[in-house]
Amino acid sequence: MSEELRVSPIETRGVAGKRRFAMVVDTRRCIGCMACQVACKAEYDTPLGVNRTWVPYKVVGKYPTVKKQFLPRLCNHCDDAPCVRNCPVEATFKVEDGGFILQRYERCIGCRSCMAACPYNARFMLPSHRTYTPITNVVDKCTFCFHRVTQNLVPACVQTCIGRARVFGDINDPKSEVSYLVATNSTQVLRPEEGTKPHVFYIGADRNATEFGRDAYRQPEVMELERSAFKRNFKI
Amino acid sequence: MGDYVWFHDVSWHASYAVYFFVIGILAGLSFMSYGSWITPALRPLREKAAYGSIALLALGGVLLIADLSQPLRFLNILNPGYLNFSSPLAWGALNIVAFGICSVLYIMALKKGDEAKGKLLALVTALLALGLPVYTGFDLTVHQSRPVWNSPIMPVLFVAMAIASGSAVGSLLAMGNEEAQKVLRQYMLWSAGAVAVMLVSVMGTTNYGGSASELTFMIMTTGTMGLLFIGVGFLAGSVAPAVLLFAPMGKSQGVLMVSALLILVGGAALRYVLLMAPQQLQTLF
Repeated sequence: MSEELRVSPIETRGVAGKRRFAMVVDTRRCIGCMACQVACKAEYDTPLGVNRTWVPYKVVGKYPTVKKQFLPRLCNHCDDAPCVRNCPVEATFKVEDGGFILQRYERCIGCRSCMAACPYNARFMLPSHRTYTPITNVVDKCTFCFHRVTQNLVPACVQTCIGRARVFGDINDPKSEVSYLVATNSTQVLRPEEGTKPHVFYIGADRNATEFGRDAYRQPEVMELERSAFKRNFKI
Repeated sequence: MGDYVWFHDVSWHASYAVYFFVIGILAGLSFMSYGSWITPALRPLREKAAYGSIALLALGGVLLIADLSQPLRFLNILNPGYLNFSSPLAWGALNIVAFGICSVLYIMALKKGDEAKGKLLALVTALLALGLPVYTGFDLTVHQSRPVWNSPIMPVLFVAMAIASGSAVGSLLAMGNEEAQKVLRQYMLWSAGAVAVMLVSVMGTTNYGGSASELTFMIMTTGTMGLLFIGVGFLAGSVAPAVLLFAPMGKSQGVLMVSALLILVGGAALRYVLLMAPQQLQTLF
């Protein structure tokens, strides 16, 4: 990213001497095995009904040439994150070295302002009952596996991806694989019009899955039926 | 068909809309109480409006704190070490606390009969009350990805709705007092008219926006949301009272009461739809 595109002083992409971690998701390689989702669940004991990463799909094309188009989703660790701006108690913050957007659980008051601010639905409220982890009733999100990356490991979803659809690294380092992939492929980010400068880049993402289509409009009554069916066993 | 859609919950639920409604009425009542120092016709409302305002503040405070998933941590928002001034919620919390303190001092001055101090505190309380609908509007405006919310008109719309709701409650409180009703009729008429004009503007800009805006417009104008927004909020709660109050019969006590009730019901419906509908679209993204 050129210096001219940098708007806010919080942005660290392309700043010399600072790391800026990013993920490239090559949707051409994703087979929809959901192993990333499972690995993430196992890493964090994420409760039922909520996810730090999830893999929705759409069936695109016309019979007989149809295919499932997967779009792995997670927090975009935006360079200019609206959730950081909106948290009234600075429970959400950006790590300058690396660009991780993290959450201080002990400080979060659960006002859900960050959830409303996030254009990607990457944040969720942890339920009041969890089996092994005492962190409840606060907002949670993907951390880009901060605890693993600081130990020179890649995030759990990247580690487990059998198709190598997910690649992780420092985009400020021109020799990293993510820099190479972003430089040599046509990439998309989700909802670029919001100006959040997301740091999850997609290769080959289908516009049917990345943009709002007419399909997103449902009568609330109809949607409620589907939602209650989807969450029939999920109570916060 | 056959798509795997992940459903997300809306961030803010209906209890927040109730809070918006309560805070709008209490701000409006605070304006009425201050108005009584300038307009003698509103004098009978001075104490009633001040007491009503502080009672609703207590209710609104409880609603706001109960809506947090960590209610006991509400003090974090008043901790200077934690406060993030780029969040309108932080400003709002400070505003609510300052308003509460000034309201108590104002009521104490009213009880003592201290006119000079009372008038000054009424002014300060009314100014802080103005901050309440402004901050609730900003609370929505700052969310750049939400159509309807992310519009500079929201704080102004919330102020107009606060004046409309406050004068409607004032009109119900001042029942039988012709002098006060004459003034309150003007307040209700022009604020309800202003709300109607702003809603037309909101609908226009939403319908002519990008695809997210267009879809939000469709959600807001059809089905249950459409009934609440267009039917109850816009037509019954803004246009009808403005027309009724503007008509020659608008000065009669019965029409005033009906208009006041319509404004209150419409105000509640509008706040609900303005809060919930722009969140609906993103639950499927």
